[in-house]
Amino acid sequence: MTHPMTTYAGAELGREVCRAQTLLTQTEIDRFCGLLGYDGAQYQGVAPTSMCLAFGLRLGWEAQVFPPGVIRVGDENTYGVPAQAGEVLVTKLVITDRFERKGRRFLTYQMDTTNPAGEQVCRVKFTAIIPEGAP
Amino acid sequence: MTPSITITQAMIDSYAAISGDFNPVHVDPDFAAATPFGRTIAHGCIPLEPVFRLVQARLGLAVLPQGTGMKLRYLRPCHPGDTIGIVVKADGPEGIEFQCVNQRGEPVIEGAVRLVSGGIS
Repeated sequence: MTHPMTTYAGAELGREVCRAQTLLTQTEIDRFCGLLGYDGAQYQGVAPTSMCLAFGLRLGWEAQVFPPGVIRVGDENTYGVPAQAGEVLVTKLVITDRFERKGRRFLTYQMDTTNPAGEQVCRVKFTAIIPEGAP
Repeated sequence: MTPSITITQAMIDSYAAISGDFNPVHVDPDFAAATPFGRTIAHGCIPLEPVFRLVQARLGLAVLPQGTGMKLRYLRPCHPGDTIGIVVKADGPEGIEFQCVNQRGEPVIEGAVRLVSGGIS
């Protein structure tokens, strides 16, 4: 079931939908490095920048924000300070835009992740096609 | 030699586990077969990996500098078995414009990386 504040009709643009705290572990960093072929020795204590893309995805799927079958069409991302192993990261999700084009419905999701010092780790903002039949 | 990545279903499944993104278009072959894609597609973050590798290698850094911006358009889906590389379309101290291309030379992502303080060469 999709989060009621995140349906195409029900989304309140600019309002925080959900947030989550996540402890980033070295084990998770190692797993990410192993999967995508990063030299793990360079990432002792620090996450590869591209790992940041996963933080917002996790929040959005766990909070049932994204409808199954949703297709990402474009991003505008900003990368901040590197995420460090042992940090509790906070990610917040906001829907920032809603529009229709050529009979398709689109939503833009923005996920901001910060570290314990309140510094921006990343902003991942992507626009996606909402599948037909999704609320 | 520019970086590339070869996508497998096992890689997609593992990325789903790491990101929590179990969207059935990525991990459910039956669901994906009923979509216009016809089969599973990779998370957009996977074919994007060569971009991170290229920029970080050029800068001699393990991570992107603070303030780096990235603008992306996803043009085509990437499937298991695809190998994705990167073609730099424009290059300068402030960043690059690029296309990620598959093994047939078809662009799958296009976009730009912008560095706040410059430094790429």
